[in-house]
Amino acid sequence: MKVEVVNLKKHFGATRAVDDVSFSFSSGQVVGFVGPNGAGKTTTMRILSTLDEPSDGDAMIDGVSVVEEPERARHLVGYVPDSLPTHRDMSVHEYLDFFARAYDLKGERREQVIESVEEFTNLTGIREKMLNALSKGMKQRVSLARALLHDPPVLIMDEPAAGLDPRARIELRELLRVLSSHGKAILISSHILTELAEICHAAVIIEHGKILMAGAMGDLLMSSVPRRTVLIRVLEQQEELHRELLQMPHIENARLIGSEIALEVNGTEETCCDLLVSLIQRGYRILEFKQQRANLEEIFMNVTKGVVQ
Amino acid sequence: MTVRSVLRQKGLLARIDDWMNPIVIKELRQAVQSRFVVTALLVLLSIQLLAVGIYILAWRSALIDLDAGRWVFMLLYGILLGISMLFVPLYTAIRLFAERSDTNVDLLFITTIKPRSIIAGKLFAAIILTILIFSACMPFMAFTYFLRGIDLPSIFVVLLLGFMIVITCTQAAIFVASIPVNRVLKVIFGLVVLWVFLMIFISTMGGMNELFRMGIGSRLGDWEFWEGVIGFLSLFTLLIGSFFVLSVAMITPPAANRGFPVRVFMTLAWASLGITVLIGSVINKTHTPVAVWQVVFSSTFALALFIAVSERDGPGRRVLRSVPQSKLKRAVAFFFYSGAASGLTWASVGIALTLTLAWIWSKLLPAYSNHDDLIGGLKWMGAMCLYFFCYALSGALLRRHLLSKVGSELTWIFGLILMIGGIVVPFMIGYLLFFGDEWWKEDYENWLVGNPFAWNGISSKALYLGIAVVWAVLVAALNLRWFIERVSGFRPLIAPIDQSGSSVMAQIHDANIAFEPPGRQERQDA
Repeated sequence: MKVEVVNLKKHFGATRAVDDVSFSFSSGQVVGFVGPNGAGKTTTMRILSTLDEPSDGDAMIDGVSVVEEPERARHLVGYVPDSLPTHRDMSVHEYLDFFARAYDLKGERREQVIESVEEFTNLTGIREKMLNALSKGMKQRVSLARALLHDPPVLIMDEPAAGLDPRARIELRELLRVLSSHGKAILISSHILTELAEICHAAVIIEHGKILMAGAMGDLLMSSVPRRTVLIRVLEQQEELHRELLQMPHIENARLIGSEIALEVNGTEETCCDLLVSLIQRGYRILEFKQQRANLEEIFMNVTKGVVQ
Repeated sequence: MTVRSVLRQKGLLARIDDWMNPIVIKELRQAVQSRFVVTALLVLLSIQLLAVGIYILAWRSALIDLDAGRWVFMLLYGILLGISMLFVPLYTAIRLFAERSDTNVDLLFITTIKPRSIIAGKLFAAIILTILIFSACMPFMAFTYFLRGIDLPSIFVVLLLGFMIVITCTQAAIFVASIPVNRVLKVIFGLVVLWVFLMIFISTMGGMNELFRMGIGSRLGDWEFWEGVIGFLSLFTLLIGSFFVLSVAMITPPAANRGFPVRVFMTLAWASLGITVLIGSVINKTHTPVAVWQVVFSSTFALALFIAVSERDGPGRRVLRSVPQSKLKRAVAFFFYSGAASGLTWASVGIALTLTLAWIWSKLLPAYSNHDDLIGGLKWMGAMCLYFFCYALSGALLRRHLLSKVGSELTWIFGLILMIGGIVVPFMIGYLLFFGDEWWKEDYENWLVGNPFAWNGISSKALYLGIAVVWAVLVAALNLRWFIERVSGFRPLIAPIDQSGSSVMAQIHDANIAFEPPGRQERQDA
């Protein structure tokens, strides 16, 4: 199962909401879709969910074009929009039953599917509760349950963590981890970048309808750092080590912070390895040698300009 | 063994349950749990009970009157129709409007459910709600039979008519709720619809009173009575069907071929009603049915011109995907498919055919009654449609060339502004420059040029028509290049081929970003 977005464009009059966007991801991957408001995230996600038609380009889900065969593509995609279910006079179970019927699930199979989805999303205890009496976190779980009813291999989630309290966010994160381990390909947009960094295998940063940066999460975090920062913790001789490090080649700066020393190394990962070997050979008893990575928020702030169309 | 257990044993209940439209189930579940519905039903029953009680207590002497049953029935019927015409359409429309305002309808579109099932489900749920209300009031209605002055056939025929009116109003309300406009415009549309409902209510009550006065039971054997019933049923079918297909088109995503069902339905309605009025014309030896038919459909096609120019400039890829390969089928499809050029062609051909057929009919049978009315109506409609054509195409030209940043869906507004200008400006120029204080004594009729509805009032018909013809030719010529491009672009979609000969599918491999599956990534990291 592969999701392929190819040269996707969407114009609203003179506004280029999505401008030649291409990327792909596969089963079991969680891909973060990051960008400021008005960057084109929701438009791209709506196109992937067959709700909008692109001006040009295409998106393939397991080889099925969302433009040419939207009816087939709909069976492969579960869409979780940024708004939560608002039906009045309807319980959680009735809501899920309604959508199960809309997905053409019949008879006992429908009942089984609803029960298993309720169980998976931890809704069994509140299945008879009215939708308008639910908290945001519960509604978000209902929304996810609805998207899972037809067991789609791809999930498109637009700001699912918006407005959730920390507990609900952690629960959602765990659900996504499980879904990913079950082989679902997940495209998720969020403004809570620390959350994304923890669950995503890859990220796409978009602004003004164009992709600014994209790749596997590890590569992104490494590639955006001009110098490598290394944290060293030794059992003793901290001050002596600090002085010695300042004399060494490739070390741009070294700061002693409590029992730790923070270094700025001008070089590759190999340089860091050589440094570690050299320190051990010199008899330092090293407890910790950690290369610090930039976080997604820093990368986001570095690459985006906050341009809204 | 109960009926329910028999049904369960045979799995019939389960099968019926699976077969039912999900929207109907959802709407009825929500209606049952809604306090609004329960309150409205209880209020209706209380008012009816109160009305009968007050009538009997206050006018005991009237009960000796042989017409007491008719008067009580009219009172109860007024309450039932009034509340049903207000409550059922309003309840259904507000619910659809609320769903349309958020992403609930979007969520339905990514299921396997079709837009027509959504509208059909809403309508069917409203029908069940109406049946519930009518059934609850039925005992009060039947009671009036014992008060004398009314027969049972009259009660049932009038209730049936009332039921049809409520359903038609509900479908009209669903249509208004489906229109994708902002809240303010929707409230304005809603108020207009409420005013129309009030007019329908007043006319219905007047009509019912007249029917009772004539007596329905004694007229059941008359052909004239059944002719009227068929006429009303046809009208209701046409109205419900039109509002239904229009509502479906309104909630269907713009990328889909949403003009197609509307045009097919209107064409079928045009043809079937055309044949019916011709038969009616021959039976009664009068041109009146044909005159009504041509006015209804000429006006409809004229309005369709404004809708057509507001459609997408060209059909999208989703529509082109379904364009037939065969040239003949493609030519037919062009008339019915979504797209501004197709819509303009369909409406223009519709106007031309309607006027031509009615004119041929008038020439074939000059001895039939109301011949002059038909001819007069044809001239009036012909001139009106010509002006509508000019305004719609001028609006389209204006938007395309001067206001290209405005979306095509607003083209009708430009056409409408031009039309209002065309009606008001020439008259104001004449009034300001040439008229005296008593303008109504002046020969102002020629200053009505530009007014599409002024055929009967204008004195110089040649000038009025001449301006319209020259204008129509001019805008048609100016739009010709655009139109030819749209016609030649109306071809089945083929995957675009790049220079190296590979299709879009092949370009995927050149997509600039691709992520490896996590398993493979982890292995590489290791």
